[in-house]
This record gives sequence, structure tokens and C-alpha cells, in this order.
Amino acid sequence: MIDTIEKEDPVISEEEAAQYDRQIRLWGLDAQKRLRGSRVLLAGLGGLGAEVAKNLILAGVKGLTLLDHEQVSEESCRAQFLVPVTAQGQNRAKASLERAQNLNPMVEVHADPDRVEDKPDDFFLQFDAVCLIGCSRDLMVRVDQLCSQRNIKVFCGDVYGYYGYMFCNLGQEHNYVEEKLKVVKPTRDSNDGPEAKKAKVDLNETTMVKKTASFCTLKEALEVDWTSEKAKAGLKRTPVDYFLLHGNEKCQFIKQVKKYKCFSVIYVILDSKPLAGFFCVENSFAGIRPMSPPSTKFHGHGHAAFA
Amino acid sequence: MAISHGYIELADSLSSCKVLVVGAGGIGCELLKNLVLTGFKNIEVIDLDTIDVSNLNRQFLFQKKHVGKSKAQVAKESALQFCPSANITAYHDSIMNPEYNVEFFRKFMLVMNALDNRAARNHVNRMCLAADIPLIESGTAGYLGQVTVIKKGMTECYECQPKPTQKTFPGCTIRNTPSEPIHCIVWAKYLFNQLFGEEDADQEVSPDTADPEAAWKPEDTAARATASEKDGDIKRVSTKDWARSTGFDAVKLFNKLFKDDIMYLLTMDKLWKKRKAPTPLDWQQLEDSARPQEETPGSGLKDQQVLGVWGYCQLFQHSVETLSSHLQEKGEGAELVWDKDDPPAMDFVTAAANLRMHIFSMNMKSRFDVKSMAGNIIPAIATTNAVIAGLIVLEGLKILAGEVETCRTIFLNKCPNLRKKLLVPCVLDPPSANCYVCASKPEVTVKFNVHKTTVLALQDRILKERFGMVAPDVQIEDGKGTILISSEEGETEANNHKFLSDFGIRNGSRLQVDDFLQDYTLLVNVLHTEELEHDVEFEVVGEAPDKAPTPPSNQEEANSITNGNKDSAQPSTSSKAEDDSDDVMIVDSDEEEAASSATAKPAPSSGTKRKHSDAETGETSTKRPRTTQQSSAAADNDDDDDIIALD
Repeated sequence: MIDTIEKEDPVISEEEAAQYDRQIRLWGLDAQKRLRGSRVLLAGLGGLGAEVAKNLILAGVKGLTLLDHEQVSEESCRAQFLVPVTAQGQNRAKASLERAQNLNPMVEVHADPDRVEDKPDDFFLQFDAVCLIGCSRDLMVRVDQLCSQRNIKVFCGDVYGYYGYMFCNLGQEHNYVEEKLKVVKPTRDSNDGPEAKKAKVDLNETTMVKKTASFCTLKEALEVDWTSEKAKAGLKRTPVDYFLLHGNEKCQFIKQVKKYKCFSVIYVILDSKPLAGFFCVENSFAGIRPMSPPSTKFHGHGHAAFA
Repeated sequence: MAISHGYIELADSLSSCKVLVVGAGGIGCELLKNLVLTGFKNIEVIDLDTIDVSNLNRQFLFQKKHVGKSKAQVAKESALQFCPSANITAYHDSIMNPEYNVEFFRKFMLVMNALDNRAARNHVNRMCLAADIPLIESGTAGYLGQVTVIKKGMTECYECQPKPTQKTFPGCTIRNTPSEPIHCIVWAKYLFNQLFGEEDADQEVSPDTADPEAAWKPEDTAARATASEKDGDIKRVSTKDWARSTGFDAVKLFNKLFKDDIMYLLTMDKLWKKRKAPTPLDWQQLEDSARPQEETPGSGLKDQQVLGVWGYCQLFQHSVETLSSHLQEKGEGAELVWDKDDPPAMDFVTAAANLRMHIFSMNMKSRFDVKSMAGNIIPAIATTNAVIAGLIVLEGLKILAGEVETCRTIFLNKCPNLRKKLLVPCVLDPPSANCYVCASKPEVTVKFNVHKTTVLALQDRILKERFGMVAPDVQIEDGKGTILISSEEGETEANNHKFLSDFGIRNGSRLQVDDFLQDYTLLVNVLHTEELEHDVEFEVVGEAPDKAPTPPSNQEEANSITNGNKDSAQPSTSSKAEDDSDDVMIVDSDEEEAASSATAKPAPSSGTKRKHSDAETGETSTKRPRTTQQSSAAADNDDDDDIIALD
């Protein structure tokens, strides 16, 4: 889908050129045109979803569909900035629509109040990329299987207090280009002065190098046999957050590791029992001490201070 | 599982403490949103700028309808939407205004910079040191970003590490022997000022007869210099007056700049012994041989087209006509200020620069590319700023929780490092004992010619530009405490054009310089010299010597980040920003490679006359390799703790 940008109007308007100037200067006009031709699905409009929505809308995609069946709660307004404080009780996607649209009128923003689980397969196929935020593991695996085969890019993610993860599957054969600076070799002629003899990097001369990358499916990523020797060896470099992706079925697995204080937060989050209070957990990243929220929903927020 | 008391206190202090956000642009908008959602209740935000359409791709608190309005004001209004109970105060003002004194800064528990220029950063650094308030410093450029914490007595201050000064070009390169497009662009901007703006003696565009390279014998240089001063012709009349006398006739202007002056340069034959000589242009010839421009299919932006020579001749003519009529409309003694977002001003520089590039056998550039260079545009996107703003709040929470020792400098890289990390934390360094700002009795030694340096040059070039002071007071340590410069307006104006030697200043003299606003005293030791390089006004002694430029590796070039161009001590005008991009400090994309990139020495600290308000090169933290490896070692150990033994 992303490859067929020709069907869209190739000419960038003056208004777009002015507004997108600073990003065109970073990723180039071609990339901007591709963005401009893409339709994206965003499921889940909590705090993380709102940030993703903002970033995609500002970037100038063609269309963004906000999909969320949840209702706006008192917490929602503190968690994200798209939902007005007066919107309690409304559908979260619909309540986010106005401010989302105002971020960039050139993007077609839609709100859909349905459950993502209830959507048929062909719903997902109308998009160039799908983002699943705070969705169940089964849904993510299903959508990932469905989309990646058809070159629809899949992104999944969620946050839990100070923890979070992002997974992406750009397909088995993802083609892209990398911009490399050209090094101007010194010329042999001595017509030009001594300056010309030095190899210069002309910051404005770059070449685009074509590359391909291959991504595994979510199913494959989750089905790693951690008891195998190879996996055990790789465990050292596996971020803690990887295990957050595993749902309740892995509770047994998680319990086994709760004795390591860094995992206790996961255990508590994934257990269906409500939390009794705050947990303090050491984290190797930057020496901060994250806390788990005192809520049954692992993506909810107990206290605005730790959103 | 009891709640840790520290965190309840933290939650309370969030709602009661006051914080200051300096800047409401790319980082500022994201930061304000984060602060409000995190639960900060008392926020003050200051920004001197107004909203431009090019801000809208990332400064999401602003919409199209807000273009032209105050950033601080609109940011406040938009943020209040998310949390109507928050208490936000907005200032449409420069943070360097003396109103924001040490007492003002003391109101806050935390100051967060979201700036795009070094002068303001230096200033806020000093104010926060003076007030002893923790400062979170940050910057972004493209995909790269950085956050760090500055706490008096505990960490390095912003000025502890010498930062490379902005890149400037010698006058003779600009006026006589340009070899790169940027030289021609700088020349074109100077030309704009000479014709339509504030004339500056350091922005001459005519051939430099005193170019030492042009003389076959050293004596000739001096002879030529005095000869040109004695000439009773064009050279003595200001460029603007001459242009006015021709009625700003574009063709006459063209022929002088692109034909006559070039022919003059050709007579300085030594310059062209080893260089390709320039080829003069003739208007009539170009007009006669002009062919209708072929329309290339519009796949690129209109601005990305590169015209032919005649195309730029026409652009030159049109822009001169437009600009001269604007000037006339403004009346007697009026001046235009160059602004990249003013179409005829940008057209003029595009045309003039390209014509000069063509003359000197360089490939011409599109308006799009010229604008990037002339306007020091730093590409910017929303997401980098979002990440950095998130990190700022996380560091801020550590500070408020009383855990400053857990604060870090964090680099956001474009590609993951060998440990697959995009975010790389580094332990903060302690203050530098020799820092000319935060050391207990800061001192510097500056080398210049006491007979040729004026009081004004000392004030503006050395104390304000180089040493970041806003309102310096200078006393000579001559036993009499003679006041050389007073920050009170008018008091010492009479001294401005006198030479320092007139006051008895000589080799070994000491000057006590105070900036009372910044609560900063600097002792300046004078080292007299008669041997400075051509076009170099002064040199700060004791900083890394200038090495001969080596061809930079691709890695270094990719890493080199340009900072904002608003380097003068003067804040930019509030009507239009010269550059609205975000500043950043240099970032190494790979900690393992930090050792090699760290060898890129900071640029020489000498002040040169021909200051092009160009993008500065980023700073390098030469200490970083050590600390990065330390922290990655630490990270490694923690990883060990995370091993899960499974059966």
C-alpha cells in the first residue's frame, strides 16, 4: 500500500510545504509524500494512544482512525490531553476527535467507538499501518498475522508506570533507503587551490542506499522457548519489559521469577487481584525507582503524579 | 506492601512547588503538556517569540489561527485546556531582561530550559548558579537529543566545558576567495545589510585589497591598505549611498558586484596562482543569450528547483526592486532587517549567492538549500522533542524527590548502539575547577593588541559575545579602581571608541568585570600582543589550541549538530524569529565510538571580526567516553541481577 503513492496527488501544496518545512528538511520530500498517502489505524486512546495520535497527525498522514470502545472516566482526562474534562461518560475515541483534528486540519481524523476485537479481518486491510495500544495478546497476534502478510505495517505497545514496550513488524521483506553523506574525493587536477585537495564532506550531497530488513511476527517473538540453551544465553540482553507482553497464561512463569525484585511489579500487575498499595522496585535504567500503579488495570493510573 | 513515604511527599511537592520553563517552542510545548499531566500545579513559562507556520509541525499547542501571537501566551491557554485548575503564568519577554533577576529565579524549585540559542543558555546557567536552583538543560536537532542536570557545586555547569564557538570565516575568504557555497551565502547576507540594512564595518563585500595572500611581498599588503583608504572614489562612499545614488538600479548594481569587482579581483593575480580564477558576468551578454527556462516536471517543491544563471539575474533584479521600494516606503534613515521568512529578502540572498557561486565555479543551489544555510535552519520533528520532554520530567521528579545523585545526562541517538540502546545515560561530571563561570574566583587570560582594541570591542565582542555577559561593569585594577565600562546607559559611552592603551592598560593589566544581574565576577588578565592572525581580534588563552582542520569522518559529520544561530547577546526581535529551531549539544551515536568522535576538538576560542551568525557546531564532551563506559558497565552489572534462571 505504501508503495503506491502515485495514486495520490504527487504535488505538495504551498500550505503543506510551509507547515511541513522543518520535517521535509529532515526526512525529505519523498518520505513526506508517502506519509501524506498513508492511512493509519490507532486502537486504544489512553495516555500512550493520545501521544501516538498527536505524533501521527502532526506528521501529516492522510487519514487516522481512532478506535476505542472505552468510556471517558475521571482518570482519562488526567492521563491524556485530547479528552476534554467535560467529556465524562462519552466514548473515548469520539471525545478525543475534536482536539485531535485541530492538531492538523489537513489530516482526515475519524473516531470509531467499536471494540477492536469485534472488527472483521477486512476492516484492518484498509490501512497502510495499524497501531495497537493496550490490546490483548490474542488480538495483537491475530492482527499481526493478518496484516504483515499483506505488507501492512504493525505496531503494538503499552505502558505500565515507568515500564513500557513497543513491538513492530514491518514484514518479512521491508524495503527502505538510508541516507548516507557523500564524501567528495579530492581531484587530481591542481587547477583548484590547496583547499580542493582535501576530501570534503558536502553536507548537502547525499546518496540514498537501498536496504531490506526482515521482521519476525509477534507470534514468533512470543513463542521463544526460554528453556533452550540459546535462549538462556540471550536472556542477559533481553529487557525486562519483554515479559510484560505475556498475558495471564504465563502467570505461573512470572511467579517463578518474583523473587527477583525487579519482576515483582509484573507479577502484581498480571495477577487479577487488586493491588493493596505501591511497590518500589529497583530499575537498572538510569537509576530511577519506578512504582506500580494501585489499580486493577495495568494500563490505568492510580495517581496523576505517576501517569 | 507499604507505600514509601518519599513518594507521598513527592506527590505533595508536585502540587505546591513552582517551576519555570524557559522557552515555549518545540521542547517547551511538549514539556508544558507533560508537566500539567504529571500534576505540577504552578508553572511559569517565558518566550520572546511569536508563532510561525513552520512551527506547526511540532509545537502542537499552536494552531494555524495562532500564527503571529505570543508563544508563551498561547501555550498557556492551550495547556490550561488539559487542566483548568493549573496555575500557569506566561511572559512574552526575553529571559535576559534584567527584570528576571536572581530574586525572580529564587521563586522556583526547578528551572527547565527549552531554548534554541547559546546566549540565553549561558545566561540562565549563571542565574541558576547565582540563585542555587537546579537547572535541567536540553536540546534537540532532527532525530537527536540530549538532557542534562546542572546543580551548583555538584555538577558541571553549562559553561564548565569549553564549547566550540560558532563557525566564522575570514574576511578575505568572504570578499576575495570563496570556495564553498556558504561563503557566497554569507557574502550575500552582508550585501543585503550593506544595501538595505544596518551597515556594519565587519560586513564588507567589496574586494579586500589588504588580503595578505594577495601580496607578493609583505610590505605590499600594508601599502595597498593605506592606498585604498586614500582613494577618493567609490571605496570611500558607503555601499548604500552609492546604490541610492544610482536609484538602486539593479543592472548597475549587478555590473559593479558581478563584473567590475570580479575584474578587480582578477588583477590580484597571486590569489589565482593556485586557485581557479573567477569569471565575471555581463548583464547584457546574459540577457542576449537567455533561453526560456524549461519547466521541469513538478515532482519536487518549487523552491527545490535550481534555476539557470539568467533566472538568478532576473530574481536579483526583482528582489532589488521590491526591497528598495520597501526601504523607500519606510522613509529617511530606514533600515531593513534580513529575515529568512521574508520572501524578497530570501530571494535576494538566493540570487546574489548563486550568481557569486557561478562566478567562482561552484554548482548553484536551490532556494530551499540556500534558505537552510542562510537561515541556519535545523530540521525538527515532534517525536524527538516528545522524548526529550519526557526525560526532562523524569529527571525533574528525581530532583524533587531529593535524589539528585541519580540524575544523569541522557543522549537520544538515531541508531541503537551495540547494546541496542537508543537512550544512553551518563553519570554527571563534577564542576570543573577552572571553569570561568562557576569556579570560586573565576579568571581568564585574554590576548589582544591594547593599542588596537577599543573599549566598545572589549564590551561587545569579548565580554558579551565571548563571555556571555549581558550588562558588564569593568574596573581596571590599577590601584585607583578606574571605571572603564559602566552598565548604566550613557555613563561611559565616551570611552567606547578609545583604545584600551589610552587608559594605561598594557601587558599584565587586570580587569575586574562584574555582571550584577548574573551575580558574576570575572577577572580578566590582559596579555598584550601585536601578532594576531589577520582578522582575529582576540584569543582566550588556555583553551584547546586550534588544530589544522582534518577531513572529518562521515561519522563525525553525521554527529555534528548545529545549534541555533541566535548567538548575539541581543535577543532576537519578538516579531519574527531569525531561527526557530531547537538547540542541541553534540551527540555521539555510539558510545563505543565516543573515543574517536571526542577527538574533534572544540573550535578555537579566538574572536574573529567576520562573525557570520551561522549555526554553531555542537559541543563535544571530551569526558564522555569514560563516563559512558562507566555507566554501561554499571548497566551491565544490573543486567546480571536480572538474569532469570529457569528450569
